[in-house]
Amino acid sequence: MAEAAARSLPVQGRTSTARSSTYAVIAWSLAALIYAATHRVDTQFAMYWAFGLGFGFVLQRARFCFASAFRDLFLLGHGRNMKGVLVGLGVASIGFGLVMSRQVPMTFLGILPPSANVLPLGVHTALGGVLFGVGMVLAGGCVSGSIYRMGEGYVASWVAFAGLMAGLLASAYSWNWWWEHTIASAPRYWLPSWLGHPGAVVVTLIALAAVYVGVLAMEHRAGVVVPRQPRTEEPADSVWAELAGVGRRVFVDGWAIVPAGAVLGGLNVLLFTAQEPWGFTGEVSRWAVATASLVNLAPPPFEGVANLPGCVFVPADGTFFNHMLFLVVGMWFGSFAGALGAGEFKVRIPRQRARYAQSLGGGVLMGYGAGLAMGCTIGAFFSGIPSLALNGWVFAIFLGGGAWIGTQLIQRIQ
Amino acid sequence: MANTLDVRGEICPYPMMRTVTALKKLSSADRALEVVTDHAPALETIPTQAARLGFSTEIHEAGASEWRLVLTRMDAEGGS
Repeated sequence: MAEAAARSLPVQGRTSTARSSTYAVIAWSLAALIYAATHRVDTQFAMYWAFGLGFGFVLQRARFCFASAFRDLFLLGHGRNMKGVLVGLGVASIGFGLVMSRQVPMTFLGILPPSANVLPLGVHTALGGVLFGVGMVLAGGCVSGSIYRMGEGYVASWVAFAGLMAGLLASAYSWNWWWEHTIASAPRYWLPSWLGHPGAVVVTLIALAAVYVGVLAMEHRAGVVVPRQPRTEEPADSVWAELAGVGRRVFVDGWAIVPAGAVLGGLNVLLFTAQEPWGFTGEVSRWAVATASLVNLAPPPFEGVANLPGCVFVPADGTFFNHMLFLVVGMWFGSFAGALGAGEFKVRIPRQRARYAQSLGGGVLMGYGAGLAMGCTIGAFFSGIPSLALNGWVFAIFLGGGAWIGTQLIQRIQ
Repeated sequence: MANTLDVRGEICPYPMMRTVTALKKLSSADRALEVVTDHAPALETIPTQAARLGFSTEIHEAGASEWRLVLTRMDAEGGS
């Protein structure tokens, strides 16, 4: 009976009006102008802007949400987002493995790749994961999810972002305590130092595949899953009609999750090849610290951060523009332009006051957790596991635990 | 339609959770519930949870990024 319901679900139709196409053309033209302008100042600014646009656009088109990847497994037995995440991790692990095998050919010498997210592993990794997991479920989105939803017009996500900055600032004040008590002496484990490059990639892929099987098992135990029906395609009778179809699938229809995960993983490999893995909470913490400095509440200088990769706190250098700023703002703008083109931009205001408190509180927890773990679902997880680093897996497990706690909490605050 | 649930402005997972609560509260005389949402991810989660509770879902576009979901008790249509 339930299967019959799935089949009888009518096909989704979404009309892209001429007006939304016009808005999108204006937005993308503005994005191109900003690219050209920043390219004249600093080519790195322009490159990060382009990557930001790409990440934001794909996140929005596929509604790629790390919070729901974990939460929906516990709440619904629904694995859509987690499948996309796993495919992205697989693609990035292969790509990162190739890049790192050029950076550090001799893995047994104890040398670590300079920019990969092989981070000190300790109790801070676990605590950061749990806090972040609870926070992202409470706030209805992690950092990347909040950024792309800000671009779609969700007011609650702007509130979550403000909470995130406050949480990062709180974490910044306590960084030196954590540094002295656990982080400074914590080991950094890189799988290729034990398994070699091919071995580390293969073990990572097998582990990801095992998790994928677990996701399928959870889905089957939960019962029927009704997928969103794709639009029916009319046969194209000309090259123009064919092109229009491609354009509609990219800019108007929602993307399927697996290709989106593969594209995000691929973009992450490209960014790592060009410079460093995808991650940006370090940059958001820079904004938080700079804001606190305006009212003379700056945290003390951070110990130990100069020699750490990942999204660690960035020492204030008195400048406003930074390449990472273009990545974060680019993600927001890429999502905004994507939402405009699909006719999906809308200012959405929650009616219950409790939702604002929830978003703010969730943001604070995420911020404190991301500061401790030196990254969010992107830096510590989506770039951590492909760095073939043990800290990526430990963060993921505790992130999942935190998301489970968060799922229990939100069911009590309807 | 008699029963309408407006979850506009709500973010994941509340559109789905509030729909499930409303479906469970629906008296057996009520055959259908209409849900209005502006949160696209709910277009996947609501039909799934509705099917598990024995409701079929029809999705109608109600405007720019706004949808009307009609959830109908499946035994009302003879199991179709």
